Amino acid sequence: MKNTHTSRFKTFLSWSIKLSLVGIVVLAILMAYLDAQVREKFEGKRWALPAKVFARPLELYPGLELKPKYLVQELDQIGYQRVPNVVTPGQYSLDGNEMDVYRRYVKLYDGEEQSARVHLRFSGNTIDGVWLDGQPVALARLEPLLIGGIYPKHNEDRQLIQLQDAPSLLLKTLVAVEDRDYYDHFGISLKGIARAMVVNVQRGGLVQGGSTLTQQLVKNFFLTRERTLVRKATEALMAILVELHYSKDDILETYLNEVYLGQSGRRAVHGFGLASQFYFGKHISRLSAPEIATLVGMVKGPSVYNPKRKPENALARRNVVLGVMHDQGLISDYEFAVWQKRELDVVQYSQYQRIEYPAFLDLVRRQLRSDYADSDLTSEGLRIYTSLDPIIQRSAEQAMSNRLASLERGYRMPEDSLQGAMVIAGTESGEVEAVVGDRNPRYFGFNRALDANRSIGSLAKPAVYLTALRSPEYNLITPLDDSQIKIAGANGSIWQPQNYDKESHGTVPLYQSMAQSLNQATARLGLQIGLTNVVQTFNDLGVERDIPAYPSIVLGAFEMNPFDVAQMYQTIAASGFKTPLKAIRGVTTQDGQLLSRYGYDVKQAIKTEPIYLLQKIMQRVVKEGTARYLNSQFDASLNLAGKTGTSDSQRDSWFAGFSGDKLAVVWVGRDDNESMPLTGSSGALRVWAQTFKDLPLKPLYPLPTENIVEQWVDVEQNAISSEDCDGAVQLPFIQGRLPLQTLSCAQEPAPSTGKSWWSRMFD
Amino acid sequence: MKSVLLVVFIALLTACSTAPYQSIDQIEVSSSDVLAQLPNWYHQNLGLQLNGGNAYPDQTALASLLKQADLEFIRGNFQACQILLERAQRISTREPSVYVRLSYLFWLEGNTQSAEQMARRALALVVRDPVASEEVKRLLVAIQANQY
Repeated sequence: MKNTHTSRFKTFLSWSIKLSLVGIVVLAILMAYLDAQVREKFEGKRWALPAKVFARPLELYPGLELKPKYLVQELDQIGYQRVPNVVTPGQYSLDGNEMDVYRRYVKLYDGEEQSARVHLRFSGNTIDGVWLDGQPVALARLEPLLIGGIYPKHNEDRQLIQLQDAPSLLLKTLVAVEDRDYYDHFGISLKGIARAMVVNVQRGGLVQGGSTLTQQLVKNFFLTRERTLVRKATEALMAILVELHYSKDDILETYLNEVYLGQSGRRAVHGFGLASQFYFGKHISRLSAPEIATLVGMVKGPSVYNPKRKPENALARRNVVLGVMHDQGLISDYEFAVWQKRELDVVQYSQYQRIEYPAFLDLVRRQLRSDYADSDLTSEGLRIYTSLDPIIQRSAEQAMSNRLASLERGYRMPEDSLQGAMVIAGTESGEVEAVVGDRNPRYFGFNRALDANRSIGSLAKPAVYLTALRSPEYNLITPLDDSQIKIAGANGSIWQPQNYDKESHGTVPLYQSMAQSLNQATARLGLQIGLTNVVQTFNDLGVERDIPAYPSIVLGAFEMNPFDVAQMYQTIAASGFKTPLKAIRGVTTQDGQLLSRYGYDVKQAIKTEPIYLLQKIMQRVVKEGTARYLNSQFDASLNLAGKTGTSDSQRDSWFAGFSGDKLAVVWVGRDDNESMPLTGSSGALRVWAQTFKDLPLKPLYPLPTENIVEQWVDVEQNAISSEDCDGAVQLPFIQGRLPLQTLSCAQEPAPSTGKSWWSRMFD
Repeated sequence: MKSVLLVVFIALLTACSTAPYQSIDQIEVSSSDVLAQLPNWYHQNLGLQLNGGNAYPDQTALASLLKQADLEFIRGNFQACQILLERAQRISTREPSVYVRLSYLFWLEGNTQSAEQMARRALALVVRDPVASEEVKRLLVAIQANQY
């Protein structure tokens, strides 16, 4: 019996030893695996730093037309604080026509701007004097607005800090509130666990964790948020490993950068560095004690104690933390009493609580794709300097959403049935200054400015007329036949375009046909000059997609997106000089080393003379033609030019228009491609007008060359005339392409008896 | 080969300068000093400069940027020069001397194609000024012949 017991005991002992050995081996393997994970994360790059994208820096100089309200708007956006008298960087004051801006130091891709007091004097809506630290200067640059980031999939954003950047009060408070034994334990705190267990048993569930700061860091870095014993054990093991390898300071610094502190839209705010900027608009080193208390209080529950969303909770929690600070002797009785009564003082609008520009960011990302891998953009902390103009962008966004809503009301269309897109660029520089891809400008989704391929309708016409004007047989008054036209297609179909008013207008001069957007005359002209020539002109203007040489292309029966249309019209607006539209000026590393620059590039795509004539006609479109609505909205001296476009069955409403310095293309339509009661003139043109109504524009002066002559002609008779003849009008012609006939009156001067309607067109 | 020589020439000019390198903001240089230091061929062909002469207008943003660009040119720092010219272009989109300067820069860098296009852009902008037109045309011919 005894032997049996001894034998059983031996067997048990033997198995126990074996199992223990297996357990030890398994634990060792597990520890080795966890150790590798810990070291890999800590010794490699700890965080993916999203690229930061900046708008253009605002250049201030005497003569710049800039409404003070727009400057104030921009200063507010870049996180400047309005004060009666500026004393530190990041402040501004406005007193009548005088403005003081204490500029912060700023590093740009092309140099840096030192912190300085910029004094501005306005005369109405124009800056008439700029001083830098008291000295008059020719120009001064402000820091650019941070307009977004290129985030990895988890949308984490952070601003890295070093331990010495953090105020010691922050470190002490954090330790006091979250982990009092931090400097004594080895990764896990038995005291903390015991305390938590007591609370959990009392409350009958897992309500409090005994996690140390190290454990919290491990949990955030490596583990899920689930509350299971296995996860908790793994967390404890890893915390011990972290403490074995790294110093307390290193762990604390990592914690300060890792901790999650709230959400801003799709962006997750991580780390005290970004949180200081996001909630208080200041660098971490300048946080006050109550602000430190607010942020430390958020660690327990970033959503519940979010000072922007749940101010009452946050205030109560802050005061609890202030209490801990007081108990620990970190603040005095007086300070505790005073600071408890203080407001949260969260900034409502800071550079870091930014408005994002999804459509523009999308363009930036696509333009960078040829030079940078996605992983570089989402992890290397690159700084991307773009040409976005926040003032123009804001105006475009507001015009789009307001106008679409009023069009829906005015035409009794269902609410939110319309959509729109817009691209605005500098005519000469080709720099994209604003992009709207949705009527809700904050929407990250389908970007109509780049991806909505729609029939361009009459926006194609300038290419047709330009093709004619490039050939020696045509001038501005060449008579065109606007009678009905029928063209049989290869498959037996018939193409029979009609004018918008369903009327035929007989014989019309070339310029009037375009100004009035006559479809029948344009169709005939396109066939006369040859469809392959028209396609060639499209290509020369910068249209890169394949356009089939079908007759209907002359009326725009093919699809383009607003961005590609803007490229085509940029060439027209810049007198035939094509500049690839670009959104990026330069890219630097995180510490400001220039990686790539995207400079000005240009190619003369079309001779200046035919473009000059085309611009003249497009000014007619605004003055007398389908875009004449602009006359009531803008000063005539701006000489704006443009073209409206409406696709078949009014599915698309377009307007492309330009001044001497800005080009904008607007599309309005429905996502389901259904008809609307809108034309280019009643839809997109209105959005264009509202966008620029309040913005400064430079006048457009088409550039003639020495080959352009001004000639008195009789338009109705297609003949050379003279100033004194009846019905004479002076028009530009390319040398050698004048009308072949000369009126007899042109040799015999006669007194003028008044002007014909042709003349009035060109007054 | 010729552009290499020109670059060497510019480098020499820079090396001959006794002034230590300073950031552009720290330099107080009178307009005539800058113009005097520019090589003659660069200088003379800019007869179409602002206000119709070889001088910078007083206290305008455009003139300030052109002057800074010229200083960088003298130092042989072409990238900085180009960046400043692009800033000038944004402020004054139709200033022909910006495009002439850009044309020189590209030419010096051996990019004759871009140099020619910049000169063409300038030519389209000076059409009302016969003297300037002639100068830009000469520049264009020289670029096309790839000779100076």
